Amino acid sequence: MNIHYKTAVDYIKRSPFQALAAVFVLALTFFVGTHLAALVYSSGNVIKYFETRPQIIAFLKDEITPEQISALQNKLAVDERVKDVRYVSKEEALEIYKQATSDNPLLSELVSPAIFPASLEFSVSDLAFAEPIIEEVKKEGIVDQVGFTASLGGEKTLQDVVGRLKTVSWYLKVGGAVFVSLLAATSLLVLLVITGMRITTRKSEIEILDLIGATPGFIRSPIIIEALIYSLVGVFIGWLFAFLFWLYATPSIVTYFGDIPAFPKETLNFVVLFLIILAGELFIGIGLAIMGAYLAVSRARRNK
Amino acid sequence: MVEFRNVSKSFGKIKALSEISFKIEKGEFVYITGPSGAGKTTILRLILREILPDSGQIIFDGTDIVNLDRKQIPLLRQKIGVVFQDYKILPERTARENIEVPLAVIGIDPSQWEARVNQVLKLVGLTDRSDLFPAQLSGGELQRVSLARALVVNPKLILADEPTGNLNWETAETIVELFEKINHEGKTVIMATHNKMIVEKHKKRIIELKAGRISGQEKVKSKEEKEETVKSTVKVKVEEIGN
Repeated sequence: MNIHYKTAVDYIKRSPFQALAAVFVLALTFFVGTHLAALVYSSGNVIKYFETRPQIIAFLKDEITPEQISALQNKLAVDERVKDVRYVSKEEALEIYKQATSDNPLLSELVSPAIFPASLEFSVSDLAFAEPIIEEVKKEGIVDQVGFTASLGGEKTLQDVVGRLKTVSWYLKVGGAVFVSLLAATSLLVLLVITGMRITTRKSEIEILDLIGATPGFIRSPIIIEALIYSLVGVFIGWLFAFLFWLYATPSIVTYFGDIPAFPKETLNFVVLFLIILAGELFIGIGLAIMGAYLAVSRARRNK
Repeated sequence: MVEFRNVSKSFGKIKALSEISFKIEKGEFVYITGPSGAGKTTILRLILREILPDSGQIIFDGTDIVNLDRKQIPLLRQKIGVVFQDYKILPERTARENIEVPLAVIGIDPSQWEARVNQVLKLVGLTDRSDLFPAQLSGGELQRVSLARALVVNPKLILADEPTGNLNWETAETIVELFEKINHEGKTVIMATHNKMIVEKHKKRIIELKAGRISGQEKVKSKEEKEETVKSTVKVKVEEIGN
């Protein structure tokens, strides 16, 4: 075994409670961090779903010709702000109505396709474009009325729905980031304290190594390796517990959200998502360990 | 190998060394003697670049180490083997592991460690105690480990700071004999000591310090030099008688 790894492992074995404290704090940080990452991913998906589903319906006048409809459909299709333009005929509109009122067949028996207007449904790439596009479409001669397709809760427009989701998502991101930052700072402090204690207990050893010509890198290596071991073990444990939680909870979440892709439905995609989170956390963990060890070593050298 | 040119060093108001100059050639064995506080350890610390002089030049192996870049200090120290009065042995490692540390420091391939460590363990007579921890070794054995650690990297110079200070007379004798053996193998040895009995018994060159100044230098002739001196004296006497 490399002499630096051996030294680091020896020191961990000699002070197991310090090691446990460091690993627990780091595991807690990354447990919460994994949850936050999963929630941010999920809320982002929900917002994206609402933002990109067909949102605007341009109801067409009865007397228009198919050529006029095609002309407007093509005009919208080439507009970069507009996505997924779809023509809904009177017959299709009736079908949609029938499905919507399937619990009360009487309602659909009393209507004919003639009373439903044909329409062009489309979504926008960003909700900010919705209002100007609606105004532009309203000016088209063949358009009778323009409206949003959905309204959740008490919101008047889809923009309100997405606005509310965005607010929730923003609070989640900012609140979560602040909380995780506090935990990361605590982890860094714990690493600093433990590394500092290690340097104090190794003071005579460091002095001897210095006198026999060890470079600062040689002296620092076991300290950094020790911090890396704490960090990597902490990251893995924190991630693993969060992963198991989501693995258990995902079927319920997917069922609850239905068509909304809050979480990946395929196992492979789910695992890939969590592996990406793990990779990010390992990167942050390594950064924390190196920063903690360097800060402690440079502080010790200043106090020499 | 080592040259001090008008070197002075003060610690606050205390003048540890005042304008001292001397030169030690390759392969020499030199005692630096003097009472406590005379500046013996300061000289060794200056050679190791643990401290810097206030003025003067210190030449080691052709390089002025006073102006050495900070990053070059480990390389300088890797060329010097050091033996301390208090041994400075890593307590959590066995004798063998302690001796392996300098090999790791200079980046020797681990496959060569065993042979090199065995060689120095044999030299200092600790082959059968190599797997013991420092707490299980006597003072003399610890000093042998310290010497083996200094020798394992084949340094150009051995510095010894009161290596017999914590040892009884008999053990001190065997340690000094080891230093002599190493010196005979071509290593330059500088030993700071105030043990007059050792210095008197093992006749070597002496640099005597007193209050930070060199109070005397004695160049001890080698056996061959002594024999040559006797021969030439006899020759002169014979010639005188003949005339």
